[in-house]
Amino acid sequence: MAWVYLLLAGIFEMTGVALINKLHQDKNWQALLLLLAGFGASFLFLTLAMKSLPMGTAYAVWTGIGAAGGALLGMLYYGESKDWRRVFFICLVLGAAIGLKLVS
Amino acid sequence: MNYEWLKVFIAAFFEVFWVIGLKHADHLWAWLGTALAICVSFYLMIMAGKRLPVGTVYAVFVGLGTAGTVFSEIVFFGEPLKLIKLLLIILLLAGVIGLKLVTGKKEADVQGVE
Repeated sequence: MAWVYLLLAGIFEMTGVALINKLHQDKNWQALLLLLAGFGASFLFLTLAMKSLPMGTAYAVWTGIGAAGGALLGMLYYGESKDWRRVFFICLVLGAAIGLKLVS
Repeated sequence: MNYEWLKVFIAAFFEVFWVIGLKHADHLWAWLGTALAICVSFYLMIMAGKRLPVGTVYAVFVGLGTAGTVFSEIVFFGEPLKLIKLLLIILLLAGVIGLKLVTGKKEADVQGVE
């Protein structure tokens, strides 16, 4: 069950990141509330997942799904650059961050 | 442009505070400070996404926050310093610098076309 929570946390995080784009596009309260709800749900499920999973692993998986998924959604739906150098550097930053969370 | 990046860097700086706060806070003021740091870091990160690509901003925010947290744990909380941690931090910083370089260039290209 902890892994299901973790997966949900990652998906909500990814949604939250995508909603930042929506907020800047729509500039209304609904978008802001959705954004806060997205990040809120993400933290809630992360906390639940951490009750039984090691903290480093949980953080690493959560960051990976949230940030990579968020970047992917940005490229698919919000016209963010698909330049290979950008994708490469995002992967480098996230790969290193995930590594740090796993070894810490 | 640089001002927008500054927001991301300050957001990551505050992220370090709240990550450490969530782990070590043990009295009311520490919890309030942690909550304040969460608000400041998320506000700046979200605002930086107005002019910079959100995917880039979030990756840098999370990445620098992680590097800063690992660094602080070593310096202030006596976590062991391992070579692998240093290497990953250097790799991460290289990625952030790379992102800043390509993003700046992209923006200039777009403005040139329009």
